[in-house]
Amino acid sequence: MASAVEIKGIEKKYPGVVANHNVTLTVQKGHIHAIIGENGAGKSTLMKILYGMVRPDSGTISIDGKDVVLKSPHDSIALGVGMVHQHFMLADNATVLENVILGSEPVSFGGVIQHTAARDKLIEITEKYGLDIDPDQNVAELSVGERQRVEISKVLFRGAQILILDEPTAVLVPQEVDELFSNLKDLTAHGLTIIFISHKLDEVLAIADAITVMRTGTTVASVDPKSATKKQLAELMVGRELPKRREVSTQPSNKKVLEIENASYSAPDGREILHEISLAIHAGEIVGLAGVEGNGQSELIELIMGLVKTSGGTVSILDEDIAEMSSRKIRDSGVGYIPQDRQRDALLMSAPLWENRILGHQSTQPMSNGLWINKGNAQKDSERLVKEFDVRTPSINVMAGALSGGNQQKFIVGRELSGDPHLLIAAQPTRGVDVGAQALIWNYLIEARVAGMAILLISADLDELFNLSDRLAVISGGRIVAILDPEKTTSEELGLAMTGEKIA
Amino acid sequence: MSILTKEKLKKTVTSPSRIAIIVAVVLIVASIVRRITGADDITSAGATGATLRFTIPLLMAGLGGLWAERSGVINIGLEGMMIAGTWLGAWFGFLHGPLVGFICAAIGGALIGLFHGFLVVKIGIDQAVSGLAINLLALGTARYLSSIYFAPNGGDISLSPQVKQPGVFSVPILSSFLADLNAKNIIVISDAAGILGGFVTEVSYATVLLFLLVPISTWLLWRTRFGLRLRFCGENPVAAESLGVKVFRTRYIALAISGMFASLGGAYLCMVSASVYREGQTAGRGFIGLATVIFGNWRPTGVLAGSFLFGFTDALRVRQSTSVHAILLVIVILGLLFAMWKLFQRNYKVFGISALSSLIVGVIFLKVPKIPDEFVTFFPNLATILVLVLLAQKLRPPAMLAVPYREREEGH
Repeated sequence: MASAVEIKGIEKKYPGVVANHNVTLTVQKGHIHAIIGENGAGKSTLMKILYGMVRPDSGTISIDGKDVVLKSPHDSIALGVGMVHQHFMLADNATVLENVILGSEPVSFGGVIQHTAARDKLIEITEKYGLDIDPDQNVAELSVGERQRVEISKVLFRGAQILILDEPTAVLVPQEVDELFSNLKDLTAHGLTIIFISHKLDEVLAIADAITVMRTGTTVASVDPKSATKKQLAELMVGRELPKRREVSTQPSNKKVLEIENASYSAPDGREILHEISLAIHAGEIVGLAGVEGNGQSELIELIMGLVKTSGGTVSILDEDIAEMSSRKIRDSGVGYIPQDRQRDALLMSAPLWENRILGHQSTQPMSNGLWINKGNAQKDSERLVKEFDVRTPSINVMAGALSGGNQQKFIVGRELSGDPHLLIAAQPTRGVDVGAQALIWNYLIEARVAGMAILLISADLDELFNLSDRLAVISGGRIVAILDPEKTTSEELGLAMTGEKIA
Repeated sequence: MSILTKEKLKKTVTSPSRIAIIVAVVLIVASIVRRITGADDITSAGATGATLRFTIPLLMAGLGGLWAERSGVINIGLEGMMIAGTWLGAWFGFLHGPLVGFICAAIGGALIGLFHGFLVVKIGIDQAVSGLAINLLALGTARYLSSIYFAPNGGDISLSPQVKQPGVFSVPILSSFLADLNAKNIIVISDAAGILGGFVTEVSYATVLLFLLVPISTWLLWRTRFGLRLRFCGENPVAAESLGVKVFRTRYIALAISGMFASLGGAYLCMVSASVYREGQTAGRGFIGLATVIFGNWRPTGVLAGSFLFGFTDALRVRQSTSVHAILLVIVILGLLFAMWKLFQRNYKVFGISALSSLIVGVIFLKVPKIPDEFVTFFPNLATILVLVLLAQKLRPPAMLAVPYREREEGH
């Protein structure tokens, strides 16, 4: 039997990063083939290549035994490859049917949509594969699970034989996951092929007919789920060799700067995102928060910064409960914050650098006297940042948006380290910056730690976590599942913890 | 819970028998009030005719706004496009007759719509800024061109020469039958005949043709591939583009239609509502058109209802001021009926609000002998604000309205 998809020697480089390197993958027809790996392992890039959204630098792809060149999603759809995106591409204010047929509407003369024909075809598909959706309902009224079925129907409506599902379970509640899996079994029973991207080992072992593991941009192993164990997969995902920790001369002190006790947080819709988190960070200590993205990291940061309120437990900074404090108060009490999305949360892209210097310090000396901002001080201090933090810019009067990502980030790091904060929240501080800037930013963080700052480092980059952290806290499903010593941890332990196994 | 009430709402709105009941109630109340107050104009054929003439320009601006907004672009420039329509309609109507006037207004409006599209879609200028620019530009250009073209032809810088109006017709038999019925002064029946009579007596051909754009818009937007794609450009352009929809092109077309409609509304204003171009003739109708889009929940029939509301009050103002006073009594009675209905449904909150506001209006009716014209003009705006506040949860504007969209560049 010909394989549905065969990928050989795929390479894809972006400036400064190798996203895919020597990727080889064979997917059998009628299989559910899982591709697992950490964030940044190259899964998404590979799937984008297979869907024609990204063109590889080299390598071959064959579909149903024929070599193909995919220039756009259009080509892939024509060859029967469909993608179910993790973030749904649906319009709330339209019916299920309208969403499904958009772009391939059956029309009669004059472009009039053949509603009845389209509806019949959709009902035929949903009945054949047991996808429970009502064509005439508005998408706004649907649950997440139903929306996902709409996305799947959309792909099937276009005649897809090979479905790519990008982390389909990330947005689902457990019961919906079960429904999805039974839908997927139905699909493969009818001869369709499914490529399933995930990082949840339990799920993968439960559903997949074949597993391919990716790490640092390449496929490292193909595993048979019948004989594989979770331990094995975890180790493959994380890699045998863990990065080495950088030598630092000083030891953390005993002074607790941040103390989180049994803090929980529930989203407005009632889902519990964080469950009884307890974590303390001392002066002169870097605690790395490891975990697969979307397990509560963002919410934990927002909790500390006062952007959301706890639904239980306490968060205190230097023994002061922050429950009643506004974000500004929290910042003014000595907290620096490097947000994970710098362009959205850390900078005004169309304001000059010196104005950006004031952000977050707009109510305290020396940037302001509480009423008027102090332009002179802001400009002087911006000059200092540009010099000390090696921000490459023609002047402090250029728009922040004109700088490269690395230089923007160096400026932000400099700003957040200014004013001697006691605590720094550094979320993905080197994401998307070049190697040179990364090394510099790491140095700044270590210098700040040696000088006695407490730092919470949230990162998806294991190198970064192991290089900098005194301790590693692993978060999974909104709980801290392990506190690890980066010098003694094995890759297996880390992998299992990150994929949700509680380590005693 | 929320789904349940939504279904209820759907049923209330769509059930034909309910609409019939509501119409009957309004008619009966209006009829009684006419007898009590002697404000005969509120159900006369003349009032309906005037309402139509004031409604159509608003309707065209509203439909123009609807087309633009459904594609995701706000068209603040409707007012300017209407001004262009009044000028073009008057000038070419004066030269070659009303038909050419309308055609030239349509073409000119479409071009201005495309210009708005070029500014906001291609260049990415803020949609409100571009719209305001068009309004100012149209105002100044119209005045400038008037001084060149109107002044030597018997007009002046703010006035065009007389323009011939398009033809009118009355439906034979039906028109005179309804007029007879109206004259007999039978309660309710004569009133109904009066109102209906306005729709079939001395109606301009232009009124009928432009009125047809309501069902045509509905059909195009909800029954054709083009309409589906256009609506998705307003709801989720990223998804639309990922499925092969040309978002930029669609928005250009939508804005051309938007400009064309608004401009036709302007042409109607100077050739049917009046027979001359006057500076300031549009009097903010473009902006009221935007309000009817909101009032009408981004649906053509809703825009029509909103335009009627605004057009009706406009007509009242110019005809008989006693009518306005009488309308207050209609509102009081309808409000009390509504309150009782809510009481019956045990919805005490809504009962309280509507009963109280009816009583307040009732006190005004008794104590204030004449309602100032200013308030009458303002009333539809108040109604729009009330709709916005009370029905905010149920309004469904296009999700990506006024959010700039960049097409993905090649190669990514």
